[in-house]
Amino acid sequence: MRPGFSPRGGRGGFGDRGGGRGGFRGGRGGGFKSPGGSDGGFRGRGGGGGFRGRGGPGRGGRGGGGRGGRGGFKGGKKVTVEPHRHEGVFICRGKEDALVTKNLVPGESVYGEKRISVEDGELKVEYRAWNPFRSKLAAAILGGIDQIHIKPGAKVLYLGAASGTTVSHVSDIVGLDGLVYAVEFSHRSGRDLINVAKKRTNIIPVIEDARHPHKYRMLIGMVDVIFADVAQPDQSRIVALNAHNFLKNGGHFVISIKANCIDSTAAPEAVFASEVKKMQQENMKPQEQLTLEPYERDHAVVVGIYRPPPKQKK
Amino acid sequence: MLVLFETAAGYAVFKVLDEKKLQEVDSLWREFETPEKANKIVKLKHFEKFQDTTEALAASTALVEGKLSKNLKKILKKIVAKDAHEQLAIADAKLGGVIKDKLNLSCIHSPMVTELMRGIRSQIEGLITGLPSREMAAMCLGLAHSLSRYKLKFSPDKVDTMIVQAISLLDDLDKELNNYIMRCREWYGWHFPELGKIVTDNLTYCKCVRKVGDRRNFSTSDLSEVLPEEIEDDVKAAAEISMGTEVSEEDINNILHLCDQVIEISQYRTQLYDYLKNRMMAIAPNLTVMVGELVGARLIAHAGSLLNLAKHPASTVQILGAEKALFRALKTKRDTPKFGLIYHASLVGQTAAKNKGKISRMLAAKTALTIRYDALGEDSSAEMGAENRLKVETRLRHLEEKGIRRISGTGKALARADKYQHRSEVKVYDPSGDSTLPAVPKKRKIEEVEEEETQVTVKAKKIKVEIKEEADVEEGELVKKKKKKKEKKQRAEEEAALAEEPSTSTAVESTEKKKKKKKIKVEQED
Repeated sequence: MRPGFSPRGGRGGFGDRGGGRGGFRGGRGGGFKSPGGSDGGFRGRGGGGGFRGRGGPGRGGRGGGGRGGRGGFKGGKKVTVEPHRHEGVFICRGKEDALVTKNLVPGESVYGEKRISVEDGELKVEYRAWNPFRSKLAAAILGGIDQIHIKPGAKVLYLGAASGTTVSHVSDIVGLDGLVYAVEFSHRSGRDLINVAKKRTNIIPVIEDARHPHKYRMLIGMVDVIFADVAQPDQSRIVALNAHNFLKNGGHFVISIKANCIDSTAAPEAVFASEVKKMQQENMKPQEQLTLEPYERDHAVVVGIYRPPPKQKK
Repeated sequence: MLVLFETAAGYAVFKVLDEKKLQEVDSLWREFETPEKANKIVKLKHFEKFQDTTEALAASTALVEGKLSKNLKKILKKIVAKDAHEQLAIADAKLGGVIKDKLNLSCIHSPMVTELMRGIRSQIEGLITGLPSREMAAMCLGLAHSLSRYKLKFSPDKVDTMIVQAISLLDDLDKELNNYIMRCREWYGWHFPELGKIVTDNLTYCKCVRKVGDRRNFSTSDLSEVLPEEIEDDVKAAAEISMGTEVSEEDINNILHLCDQVIEISQYRTQLYDYLKNRMMAIAPNLTVMVGELVGARLIAHAGSLLNLAKHPASTVQILGAEKALFRALKTKRDTPKFGLIYHASLVGQTAAKNKGKISRMLAAKTALTIRYDALGEDSSAEMGAENRLKVETRLRHLEEKGIRRISGTGKALARADKYQHRSEVKVYDPSGDSTLPAVPKKRKIEEVEEEETQVTVKAKKIKVEIKEEADVEEGELVKKKKKKKEKKQRAEEEAALAEEPSTSTAVESTEKKKKKKKIKVEQED
């Protein structure tokens, strides 16, 4: 499929070069430099696939898909990928560091994000960059959250899946052993979500209102984690209802709270505190709270446990 | 007490074995900690498996709406027959009400029931024997996808992947067809080269060859359905005197196979084109009305999908397909291209070259609107496309008329058309306007000399006639001198007459010619 319509620095046209596949090999990370700014031509463009001058036959790492310009990375540069403290999440170290997840469907880019190919001896492993400005979960991880509870093999109920951008990363983390039940009410986003789910078999799309979990009880089994990013004023009640229906005892929940959405007049801290209180009333015990600065404003993520097992008195 | 539990694989009815434990709601979860414990408290009484996905879809849609599906009704009737006194625990209060009305079965829904459901859900694999978890997961996934598609009113004839694939296939077929036809002509041309020159149309050629085979059979065979009469005669005549070589039976067979293939592919191509037209009309009727099926299909294929195409602004739609030229122009700071794929639309094709740019822009603007309407709109009628096309056509007409009518002044006054001047890119300096004195160029071109000669002979005849008239009066050199003088006089008169005409280049040239002739005459007489 043809990617979005943006010029690629230093190249003549849109030929399908090198490893050109459906994945959009990303524009420049830091934005588009206006033409003619630097030395008369497009040669001096940073991150433009590292293609100095035209006509160079397949320079530097063209074979590996998606090595073209990623946020300051010039194409073809060597990067290393190391595992993050959280299982299933990785960090890509180069001139600039990026949060990445291992691509479940190598060669495909879900929302135009950059892909990084790394040779691991014989194996080629592909990773997808995770944008913390677009994903609350990535912002929380980069903010230093203690536990996300989403790990390989986990079953996750994702409320507020939207077009499936963060869902795809969760699907990468849980892998083929885990499952992600993605609930989204909007039809437009639902269409995109279904397209994502077609490629990834561990995503189960549910186009229903999360306020009525009994309507989709036929599709969902018991889950280990609930991730909620619904941005609704009654989101505590929504999460509680879903937890009562589908979250196992001792299961965890990760809720992203947008202060503006709950109450736009009150102070954000007050809003967060009131939400936490509502959760406690529903037998959901919050364990940590983290604001998403600098990626989002007046947002917080609350992680907690549902129906904690009774403490063994020794 | 009975429990109705719906799963993706089917309906399950459990019987609660130990009702006392149900009283302690808070510790109910302990009973479901392990499969063995769970089996002690509830027992699977009946499991109604869904036969196929359609049944499952019907059941789940009924469940979402809180209605009774046929399957469920059947099962519950069985239960009523057996255990009418039992209460039925269900997860949805609304459904319970419906069941009570229709089947007179008392239902309960309470926090205790919710807890029970939780427990069953957590141990579902252990409780429903004979159902491997793989199958359950697969059914779950399949049901979720079909339910979502049903919800989104996914209709298979609105899938634009078909268009993208069909247009790519059309291009591939054209290439292949061309290759095969070239090969066929070359191959058969070895045996009968003249046929290639007589029959120009490719398909007719192949049909011809298919019918006849070896050159010898041409005279006997009847080609009236394939060729028109005169050509048929030409072909037959050429067959007699052809200079191609003889070929064996096997060779001819192979050539005939190739011809078969060509004919088959041609037929399939026409079929595919019809299919493409139908699909385009079904998927994007407004776009088809605006630019035509082929251009519309190419635009969709270029963008990847109809929705992607709808996201592009009108300026992008205008130059979609000319990216190489666009970025080259942007890089070298030259003029960007004015049209891409949209150049092949009929509205752009039928205008004069200088208006193509304007029309392409207008068409792209309206086309972008129709694309968005098709991609994101609800109904699928072609009215909007027809209206927009009309608007563009009206503007096109105004554009063409604008050159004929003056913008300012009275509407009835027509602008004067420019005198025809051949505008070549190489501008040559025209020295004729420099001075009004007659210039005598030294070099003469061959044509001028020839022209002069013919003119001179004409003139000579005229003069001779005059001379004859005057021969009576004068004789000898005097006559000659007089001739000269008369000629000169005539020349001068003519020159004067010519000089009075408005000076145009042609007039100038003719005066020049006259001057030249004067000179020749002078030279000749010297």
